[in-house]
Amino acid sequence: MPSPIIRVEHVSKTFISKERKKGEKKKKKAVDALKDVSLDIYDGEFFGLLGPNGAGKTTLIKCLTTLLIPGSGNMWVNGFDVLKEEDKVRASIGCMLMGDRGLYWKLTGRENLNYFGALYHVPKPVRTKRVDELVQLLELSDFVDRTVETFSSGQKMILAFAKSLINDAPILVLDEPTVTMDVPTARKLRSIVHDLHRQGKTIVYTTHLMHEAEELCQRVGIIDRGEIIAVGSPAELKASMRREDAVDIEGIFPANVVEDLRALAGVHSVMVKAEDAGRSKLSILCENSRVMLPRIIEKTIGNGATIEYIKPQEVTLEDVFLAKTGRTLGIDTRQVFGGEAKPSGGGG
Amino acid sequence: MVSRGIGLSVPGFRADLDVLATVLIARLKIISRYRGFLVMEALLPIIFAAFPLLLGTAIGGPNAGANFLRNTGQASVPDVTSYYRLYMLLGACTFTVVTLMMWLIGYWVRREQETGTLESMYLAPAKRFYVLAGVTTYAFLRSMLIFFIALTLGSLAFGVNPLSGNILLALGFMAAGFLPLWGIGFLFGAFILKIKEANSIVQMMQWVVAFLMGIYYPVTFFPPLMQYAAASFPPTMMNDGVRSSVLGVGYLFGSGWWVPFALLIGFSLVLPLLGYQFFLDTERRLKRKEGVGQY
Repeated sequence: MPSPIIRVEHVSKTFISKERKKGEKKKKKAVDALKDVSLDIYDGEFFGLLGPNGAGKTTLIKCLTTLLIPGSGNMWVNGFDVLKEEDKVRASIGCMLMGDRGLYWKLTGRENLNYFGALYHVPKPVRTKRVDELVQLLELSDFVDRTVETFSSGQKMILAFAKSLINDAPILVLDEPTVTMDVPTARKLRSIVHDLHRQGKTIVYTTHLMHEAEELCQRVGIIDRGEIIAVGSPAELKASMRREDAVDIEGIFPANVVEDLRALAGVHSVMVKAEDAGRSKLSILCENSRVMLPRIIEKTIGNGATIEYIKPQEVTLEDVFLAKTGRTLGIDTRQVFGGEAKPSGGGG
Repeated sequence: MVSRGIGLSVPGFRADLDVLATVLIARLKIISRYRGFLVMEALLPIIFAAFPLLLGTAIGGPNAGANFLRNTGQASVPDVTSYYRLYMLLGACTFTVVTLMMWLIGYWVRREQETGTLESMYLAPAKRFYVLAGVTTYAFLRSMLIFFIALTLGSLAFGVNPLSGNILLALGFMAAGFLPLWGIGFLFGAFILKIKEANSIVQMMQWVVAFLMGIYYPVTFFPPLMQYAAASFPPTMMNDGVRSSVLGVGYLFGSGWWVPFALLIGFSLVLPLLGYQFFLDTERRLKRKEGVGQY
């Protein structure tokens, strides 16, 4: 394995938020956004940071990119100390933050790229050439010379992505880059990021979409409630659960089925996804499905359920996350804003 | 740990100057794309000056100019009506410069926060000093342009000649007043960066500044303590210096021109450094808390 290009050592970050409840005095509340996070990301690696909304992904990215100063711990990026050599760290990274709106609407796309190129200290002749390259690479020519105010949301996002490439930095940090993109644009972006990685860039890619992480990343760090709970390649993480099988059952289930199944010895977790017309889908993680399936069916039918479809599933990163945290990736943990976690579809 | 260079970035003084120039040009392009904005902005000081002129005429009738001259205790001038009108017009124009500088520099941070460009800027290695230098240069150019358009149009509208008195000295006061304004702008910017929801404070501050500057009256009208507080405020010195030089009347503190001028130079040395340092400190404190981009 090559040397680490990013090193995070025991980084913690606590936000203080103010809580206002009707009829009560304003209270301060400390929220641990990062708890003693340590992580190495290697040169030329495609590293995914996977976790639900509010897990601490963006906070970690903001600490790495010098936007936030951590409460404790040390970080190095491209050989530079993040706390002491901020300018060099910034020059080493091309970054697109989640829902990047950082564009001047009264400037054209090209003027925006030129502007940020200057802020990245890219000399003017090099910058002009680089902008042309990006226009070609990302197929921006149809709209790049219009003011940004006339762009569609997808065009703005792709321009924000182009902005992150303007300095051709060795490290590219992308924080949920496809979250507001339509499907074709997201697919195009993933393909370009994949190519950039093949050209030798180190990519740090945060997402809560497990298919993105599985498709793109060589290694994945799973983050939840500010803690890195597992790191490894998608294959390694899934292999760590080989003793577990995943089974999907679709049908109509009475309310007590889920609790009864969870109580069944050998069942590790049950996640409920609501379908239409009263139908639901249960995703069950269990030991040895060949042995467990008859018991699961018996328990389900015994409770008056109607089973319409049963399908054994490959273990996914979502299952890994579910097994490690007991919750799904669709959850919004609302770390920073202090709200209660609410699973999007049941929970295991 | 491995290091793979810093991409296409070539840091250095040329790159810093490039940042300054690019920020300035981008700002000029943006404002040029709001059609008619500058002309409308230039009309504001004329309207500001028209209020007291019309009010004065309504109260004092044809003798408004003479009354104003007598009450403000200024030196005798050949044309009392012109004196009265030019006094108001210069005050309104200088106030526009002051408020534009404070607004453009101070509120710049807030605007960038709202548009989401502040975080993008903080992700880049450009030093804040050169970005701010680009913004302040833009603020300087825009406010000077507005000052001269407003003064020209206002002089035509009110039938006065602004090219009287010591023009060079007036320009000197204006130039000396700009650096302290930058400093105040930085302080103001840091304050807005911290408290964020600053609209009401910005609105109120404009009127407090107008009040303290004495745009329509000499600050000697204030009670003694307030008089000295107002007179120690760099925009007041700038306003008084410009007005006194053009109208050929007495300067602040009952002194020669060199006293307020020297004080302005003193403020020019101290306030920008103080303001910039305060801005950096605030920025650092915010990075330890929720970050600069949160609003």
